Amino acid sequence: MESATVAMGGHAHEEHHGPPEAHQSSRIDRQTLGIFLFIVSEIMLFGAFFASYFFLRVVVDPPTWPPEPFELPVAIAGVNTAILVSSSFTIHYALESIRRNNRTGLKLGLVLTWLLGATFLFIQINEYVNIGFSARDLGFGSIFYGLTGLHGAHVFIGLLLLSFATIRAFRGHFGPEEKDHLGVEVPGIYWHFVDVMWIIVYTAVYIL
Amino acid sequence: MVAAIKQPGWIRGALGALLAAAFGVGLVVILRDISGLPIWQTEQTGYPHVVVPLITAPLGFLAGFGCFDYWLRWAAGMPTIPEDHSQHGAKSWKDYFRFNTDHKVIGIQYVVTTFCFFFIGGLMAMMIRAELAQPGAQIVEASTFNGLFSTHAVLMIFVFVIPVFAGLANYVLPLMIGAPDMAFPRLNALSFWMLPLAGLMFIGSFLAPGGAFDAGWTGYAPLSTGAPLGQSFFNLGVQFAGASSIATALNFLVTIITMRAPGMTFWRMPLLVWANLSTSLLVVAATPFIAGAQFMVLFDRVLGTQFFQFAGGGDVISYQHIFWFYSHPAVYIMMLPGFGIISEVISTHARKPIFGYRLMALALIGIVVLSYTVWAHHMFVAGMSSWLRVPMMFTTLLIAVPTGIKIFSWLGTLYFGKIHTYSTAMLFALAFIVTFTIGGISGVMLGMVPIDIHVSDTYFIVAHIHFVLFGGSVFTIFAGVYHWFPKMTGRMYDEKLGRVHFWGTLLGTWGTFIPMHWVGMDGMPRRVSDYAVQFGDWNLLISCFAFILGACQLVFLYNMIVSWRFGPRAGGNPWRANSIEWQVSSPPPIFNFDEIPRVVGGPYEYGVPGAKHAIMSGEGAEVSQPQPTTVGSS
Ligand code: HEM
Ligand SMILES: [Cu+2]
Repeated sequence: MESATVAMGGHAHEEHHGPPEAHQSSRIDRQTLGIFLFIVSEIMLFGAFFASYFFLRVVVDPPTWPPEPFELPVAIAGVNTAILVSSSFTIHYALESIRRNNRTGLKLGLVLTWLLGATFLFIQINEYVNIGFSARDLGFGSIFYGLTGLHGAHVFIGLLLLSFATIRAFRGHFGPEEKDHLGVEVPGIYWHFVDVMWIIVYTAVYIL
Repeated sequence: MVAAIKQPGWIRGALGALLAAAFGVGLVVILRDISGLPIWQTEQTGYPHVVVPLITAPLGFLAGFGCFDYWLRWAAGMPTIPEDHSQHGAKSWKDYFRFNTDHKVIGIQYVVTTFCFFFIGGLMAMMIRAELAQPGAQIVEASTFNGLFSTHAVLMIFVFVIPVFAGLANYVLPLMIGAPDMAFPRLNALSFWMLPLAGLMFIGSFLAPGGAFDAGWTGYAPLSTGAPLGQSFFNLGVQFAGASSIATALNFLVTIITMRAPGMTFWRMPLLVWANLSTSLLVVAATPFIAGAQFMVLFDRVLGTQFFQFAGGGDVISYQHIFWFYSHPAVYIMMLPGFGIISEVISTHARKPIFGYRLMALALIGIVVLSYTVWAHHMFVAGMSSWLRVPMMFTTLLIAVPTGIKIFSWLGTLYFGKIHTYSTAMLFALAFIVTFTIGGISGVMLGMVPIDIHVSDTYFIVAHIHFVLFGGSVFTIFAGVYHWFPKMTGRMYDEKLGRVHFWGTLLGTWGTFIPMHWVGMDGMPRRVSDYAVQFGDWNLLISCFAFILGACQLVFLYNMIVSWRFGPRAGGNPWRANSIEWQVSSPPPIFNFDEIPRVVGGPYEYGVPGAKHAIMSGEGAEVSQPQPTTVGSS
């Protein structure tokens, strides 16, 4: 993200001289490591809600799950899952394109990913509206909205990050060099995380 | 005026907060209107038109203050402003009140802010002790008392102990590993500015209808889910404090892993760096759990979810499981950085290498791993599944082993060392070892199910936590502040006043918290504003010592302020220490180094002839040929 300014040659000891270049003591670059650690803490945030899920379902042990009148639209959510999973491939395509300096591919991949993500969110909100129970309905309703809502918020953040990458891509930023497309790669890593997390949430909430 | 509004700063920040608050209220009103609900909701747990602005207004402030400016420009693909380092370093005191990306400025911002909260929290403690000096109600009502002890604990834990360590490490850690700054300087500044917001939210809860949050720092459901509005201030304040500490932890981890100077292998890192590495691992992986728990409480309160509502198919005990899964690791978040400080201070002032350096580092990692396995020792009497008790007892006793290793290593370091006690830092370090050991032993007692059942929720717990938190963490904080005061300010503090502070604090701590063990054993309950008359004498004594303890902190305050302004100039290395931060001037140059130093040996080779830790820029020539006198280091 940040390119260290080169100290102006000649007068190294005057006002404007910048910091010395930090020694790179690991093969991994800062941004990538940072996003991985951030993902660790995100996983733990989901972990807190999954812990609650475990208590509400296994420890409280209600007679049926979902409780009697309620039903989950497993099939529609399944289609939605497919939509989100395919967006992982499009973002990968975008990244591979810029690695080969294919700018059209980059833009196409980003826009497709963004549209797929937005569709996912749209379908999910639609599901909320029509599902027939609210977060106030039993522990089941709370954790259903808790987990899917938390995930939805992550899709939203992911979309925000992708919008930034897309805007920059259309403005002609990014290049084939590794350090020149971190702005695509890092949100991409996050996006893959959001996808994988959805598969786990979907399995736990809709299927099991 | 227009220029002031465009410039990031306080005016734009205030404006941002106002706009965002208005936006929050508007959002609530519109959403409630759309869903056909009455527009205002004033049930004691609800108040969405206060809770939502409480989220948006701080964000608006941060945006206005300039925390996001660079990123927004970047995100919009605008040409970035060439870095002129105008946000780096402090030229006057005013720069400390701005968004600044220099880790040294941020470190000082952290330490000063957190000490403000320490004094506010301390004042609350004085009020608590004044009320408890005699049985019966004298000064505050029972409900105010509940608010007092809750905010006291929350201020001390979330906006003093945890972040002050982040502040000290912020200052010294990049210097120690030979980095020009932290890995993400802007994120670092953002983490700092979230902190005062959290603290203000905690204190501001006193203004909420129904008073401050009063469910203790643990905020157990269902007490918290049914409490008045103030509890929501706690739920949200913790989110800001938590986000701040996660961001800092991430920053530390990336800095330590990717920015060490050449030659600074993991086994050559000072133990303070190791300590912050392990603390950061704990923060990154545990803090989200308290965030999750507080979100769920907030949802139960404001949105009417059933996470912890028994009648609605929720699980009450699950709150405690989720909370303690964070909060036991959190007690180590509050202790491990202190362990690091003590290692630096002891080794420097005993003039000896750390005894068992590698074991010290491994013990830290051991504590990190084990601390995830002991949470339910806080729940022996909570009505959790009883089969969980014995495994938790076992792991709890096990975790005392790496802790013990550290104690013995410090003792081994001191053994036959040339112990210099001319620094107050060393006095605090020595006192820490003794006091913390007592607290650790009462911890092991509490880990045993039968004893814990007897003393649960009594003053014995209060004694334990204060022995480990005051005698432990706070002593290490004092040690750290005295140790690095010359580095941070370029001046020496007054050693005589330091001594007064030290002896008064030691006496005050022991006098206050030792008798609490007895009254606790006899059954005096904690978190109650009144008690049986038979505890009257002990409590009077405890309160007297507590006031001594409080008064001594004023000596510290005076010493720090006056010495910062008028103290004699300190040299670069007044303690003759080895680690890199002491090899630069005091205070260090604006960009830390002209050239990144080269590390050639361990950090604690005191008394080892010819040993050298780092070669600073400009030193290269004299050490270019290998030193023949180097003997094998331990
Ligand atoms: C050898 C190490 C330790 C052991 C075995 C230990 C054990 C325990 C146990 C079993 C309890 C639960 C008591 C109860 O509520 O019934 C407890 C409470 C507590 N401990 Fe420790 N502890 C240790 C070190 C520490 C350290 C280093 C800190 C912080 C710096 C700490 C802070 C606390 C706090 C704050 C509580 C009270 C929580 C509350 O508000 O209920 N402990 N400890
Ligand atoms: Cu614990």
